[in-house]
Amino acid sequence: MKEFTRGLWYEHPTFRQLLGMCPTLAVTTSAVNGLSMGAAVIFVLFFSSLIVSLMKNVVPAQVRIAVYTVIIAAFVTLVDIFFKAYIPDVSKNLGPYLPLIIVNCIILGRCEAFASKMPVIKSLKDALGMGLGFTWGLFLLSSIRELLGNRTILGYQILPAGYDPLIIMILPAGAFLTLGFLVALMNRIEQR
Amino acid sequence: MKELLVIFISTILINNLVLAYFLGICPFLGVSGKLASSFGMGMAVTFVMTLSTTICWLIYNLLLVPFNLYFLQYVVFILVIASLVQMVEMFVRKFSPMLYNALGIYLPLITTNCAILGAALFMVSRNYGFIESVVFGFSGGLGFSLVLLIMAGIREDLKFCDVPRVFRGAPITLITAGLLAMVFLAFTGLLNG
Amino acid sequence: MKETVKIIAVLTVVCLLSSALLSYFSGITFARIEQNGIDAINDAIRVLAPQAVRNEEFSVSGLAVYRLFDAGDNNFGYAFIAQGQGYAGTIKMMVLTDMAISEINGMAVLESVETPGLGAKIKENSFRGQFVGLSVIPQIILLKDKISNKNEVQAITGATISSRSVVRILNDRIEELKENIK
Repeated sequence: MKEFTRGLWYEHPTFRQLLGMCPTLAVTTSAVNGLSMGAAVIFVLFFSSLIVSLMKNVVPAQVRIAVYTVIIAAFVTLVDIFFKAYIPDVSKNLGPYLPLIIVNCIILGRCEAFASKMPVIKSLKDALGMGLGFTWGLFLLSSIRELLGNRTILGYQILPAGYDPLIIMILPAGAFLTLGFLVALMNRIEQR
Repeated sequence: MKELLVIFISTILINNLVLAYFLGICPFLGVSGKLASSFGMGMAVTFVMTLSTTICWLIYNLLLVPFNLYFLQYVVFILVIASLVQMVEMFVRKFSPMLYNALGIYLPLITTNCAILGAALFMVSRNYGFIESVVFGFSGGLGFSLVLLIMAGIREDLKFCDVPRVFRGAPITLITAGLLAMVFLAFTGLLNG
Repeated sequence: MKETVKIIAVLTVVCLLSSALLSYFSGITFARIEQNGIDAINDAIRVLAPQAVRNEEFSVSGLAVYRLFDAGDNNFGYAFIAQGQGYAGTIKMMVLTDMAISEINGMAVLESVETPGLGAKIKENSFRGQFVGLSVIPQIILLKDKISNKNEVQAITGATISSRSVVRILNDRIEELKENIK
């Protein structure tokens, strides 16, 4: 159980380890984008961990990073093709940030630090925990930005029409500010 | 010529890879603590990014497009970048020990710098020609270095400030970056006045 | 030596397997992705010109133009792609004109990264609606306040540059079309 829960809170990839910052900041302009990015990362993380864990005794140490990268790139391409074919709108919104999952340090980090040393089941639990942790982080961040910047969450209007949207929240600057405050909040909660 | 200038200026100031596209945030948070290391990192990234966009353009347009192998794009790009970084490292170590001392320790970090892969992907999605891609890669690296240096300057001063404890480290860096992104918003209309 | 062979073997096998997997999946989804692209264009045209049942694509200065045909197979106008530098980045539009290219009968923004809440209003009906029955002779003119003539468009408050970019991109593109379509 420890493998699974760790990623959800104590070693949260976004708020604790500050990994995978680029998609975290870039696609969180709306909650839908945040969730679809999370789903894509869970898929890639799950299958890459599976393959890496299965192959751990075959891959020579010198080229392990190259091998992991190729495996990750292949799964990312798979998700990319799938999104382009069946949910083209989401694919258009995520743009280059979907292929950029390849260099997302969460995935390579988990493959290198965990899946390459551990048995399959443990690796899969770890991957799911980290993936879900990353997803709820994205969802929280994107909900805050969508709510304050556009009055809505997942497209449903929450704040009254009288509220003047803070446009800065949808702009890049808003991403940095919101994440900065969320990390500080996490530090505060942990301090108690 | 005018298009190249537009790409150059907009890539550095308006559509900065770090502040507008969030590429290369990991080294941005990690390295930007000191001016000297920021400079080394910036130069290494500029060097590799110029080379990698050039080579990725050639491979994409001379191999992947004619043979209709678009689905291999990501795998090929990441392999090109990884091997390029390796080769640059070996080459620099052999022929220019001085340059190696300056850039050496930053080179291995560059493979997983998403700005490099990001620049290659942008180059394809924006349909840049060959010269445009070279200029784009070069200015992308310069833009990255510029922001990294500004940030390092601010962070060196921040050391002497009384930042509340929960904000120390990453949070205050992110908030500073947010303010910097707002400052850079002022450049937005630069090419269109 | 044995180690080197192993390294090369593992790398080759991994690369071959991933290529095979990707090639298979890209093969079964290829037609669908192609169709999505065509659908997106057709949808954009249908919104502007519901009477168009068929179109023929050709290219002017590297960007697509579509000859539009109604139910009686009469060519009643053109839809064309126009794009150029906006305030923050490229603006790409689909525009509808009559046969003589004297009037714009509709405009839709396909892609833009203009500032949300300000420049992004070029997508909204309050601005976009002005591009219906808009004369392009001698050319479109942007005004900050009240408009009185058939070739004038009112700028968005607080987003003059985005508005001006749209008008400039359209004027340039229409000039190109007039020169190339007889």
